[in-house]
Amino acid sequence: MKQIEGVMYQTSAPKGKDPDKLFFVQVDADKCEGCGSCEEVCATGAIQSINDDDIHQVVDPAACMNCGQCLVNCPYGAIYEGVSYVDEILEKLKDPNTIVVSMPAPAVRYGLGECFGAPTGTYVGGKMHTALRKLGFDYIWDNEFSADVTIMEEGTELIQRVNEQGKKDARPLPQFTSCCPGWVKFAETFYPDLMPNLSSCKSPIGMLGPLTKTYGAQETKIPGKKIYSVSIMPCIAKKYEGMRPELDDSGFRDIDATINTRELAYMIKQAGINFNSLPDQRPDPVLGDSTGAATIFGNSGGVMEAALRLAYEVLSGQRLDNPDIKVVRTHEGINTADVKVPGFGTVKVAVASGLDNAAKLCDEVRAGKSPYHFIEVMTCPGGCVNGGGQPLDPEIRASLFRSTVAQINKRFRARKASA
Amino acid sequence: MKMNRRGFMKACGVMAGYAVLGVNLTKEAVASAMDFVAMRQKSVYNADAKLYKFRKSQDNPMIKKIYDPKKGFLHDGPCGHKSHHLLHTHYIDRSAHLQALKKKGLKFKI
Ligand code: SF4
Ligand code: SF4
Repeated sequence: MKQIEGVMYQTSAPKGKDPDKLFFVQVDADKCEGCGSCEEVCATGAIQSINDDDIHQVVDPAACMNCGQCLVNCPYGAIYEGVSYVDEILEKLKDPNTIVVSMPAPAVRYGLGECFGAPTGTYVGGKMHTALRKLGFDYIWDNEFSADVTIMEEGTELIQRVNEQGKKDARPLPQFTSCCPGWVKFAETFYPDLMPNLSSCKSPIGMLGPLTKTYGAQETKIPGKKIYSVSIMPCIAKKYEGMRPELDDSGFRDIDATINTRELAYMIKQAGINFNSLPDQRPDPVLGDSTGAATIFGNSGGVMEAALRLAYEVLSGQRLDNPDIKVVRTHEGINTADVKVPGFGTVKVAVASGLDNAAKLCDEVRAGKSPYHFIEVMTCPGGCVNGGGQPLDPEIRASLFRSTVAQINKRFRARKASA
Repeated sequence: MKMNRRGFMKACGVMAGYAVLGVNLTKEAVASAMDFVAMRQKSVYNADAKLYKFRKSQDNPMIKKIYDPKKGFLHDGPCGHKSHHLLHTHYIDRSAHLQALKKKGLKFKI
């Protein structure tokens, strides 16, 4: 076990193992105080009391979506991560025969700075790219580039589905987004009958992995087999996604390793890099340049807004003068909107933040009562910026702790009074 | 001071089960965590509006390069043949294992 930015990690980098058998998140029974906060925030109930002391455990990986919301909400820091590739990445960075490429997600650059004392949400994209170069990554590619690719693919798929309706073999509407790995596993586990509604697009990292070893290999004239691709995510569930056996379309493992924001901060600190004094640098352009549409993927409602910026122009044949589509921006819960597109009509959309909310929209689809064309789902409330792999604010954990203690004390006193 | 709820519960002579604590245990703290999330979200929209030269995926020059109909790596366009091979996927029904756990008597929220 290793402590990384306030969270314990088991330092295993499982190779060739079935990710469905791994606990990406588990409770250290010695630290658990049985408060039940984790169970309360878990949408599936995978984490539950296992004995009379109310010690909690993730009872089976099949029920766990690997989101880490339990971990970030445990007031006692009793929940640890089961998989960490940090040690393996450090070895690969030293190996002159391996070309190591970095693939950071949009939300990482809005959280990483907090590990170095910056105010909450500070954008540190430029420093992040510089730090990755200093760590020895050979190519600084960016998952924001492939977020743009995702919009091209997923937006096009949506338009195809809309046009197919009424025809034979039409793919169903609504189309669900497929970029959030907690949500995808949730749909596969609890709503497999709705899999035809799930966009067939891989997530942005699911796309960047194979592009790195094919397109990237071609552009840099480096054989794909020498490339080691590192996915850097605000997320724990992306570790599960990276290990999915089917993600080998490049002819190799598409994604060799996955770490999260906390682990990247740890690597930067271990290397003795003074993060705050770093200059801002850009990623390497061909698989690195991106747009505002890509960076908003980190927020609930962001994938929706980015897709609409494309769909509007394709469906109407007109330019979208103001790219802000604020009605779909979602802080919590379920948000629905009618977006008027000239020459087409109304595009009906919904955004669900949190799997409990997603389940409500899924039930509507199942009942044949869903009015929407397109539904975005993010497992973590607020989106990836609040992902299970993001830095934990010490104040938040303290306030969780205080509220838990206060609640327990209140009940305790009430019971004594009535006894 | 380390608070030990196990001790509390035993002292109260209450049967085990956190359910007696009610469901609002973390509501307040989770609400303050959501303020924190709002700050990160705001920073994202600020970057979208101010830091990025292009704000639509289709305007990204590197997107135009990869989808270039003549020389692009994905020259057959979005959802084209090569995209289907590299960038699209299929899903796997994982419900059976969960059903088996339920049959064994485990309870979940859904
Ligand atoms: S939130 Fe932490 S301390 Fe409370 S029951 Fe869950 S694991 Fe145990
Ligand atoms: S990681 Fe998510 S799904 Fe798994 S037990 Fe924790 S909250 Fe529940």
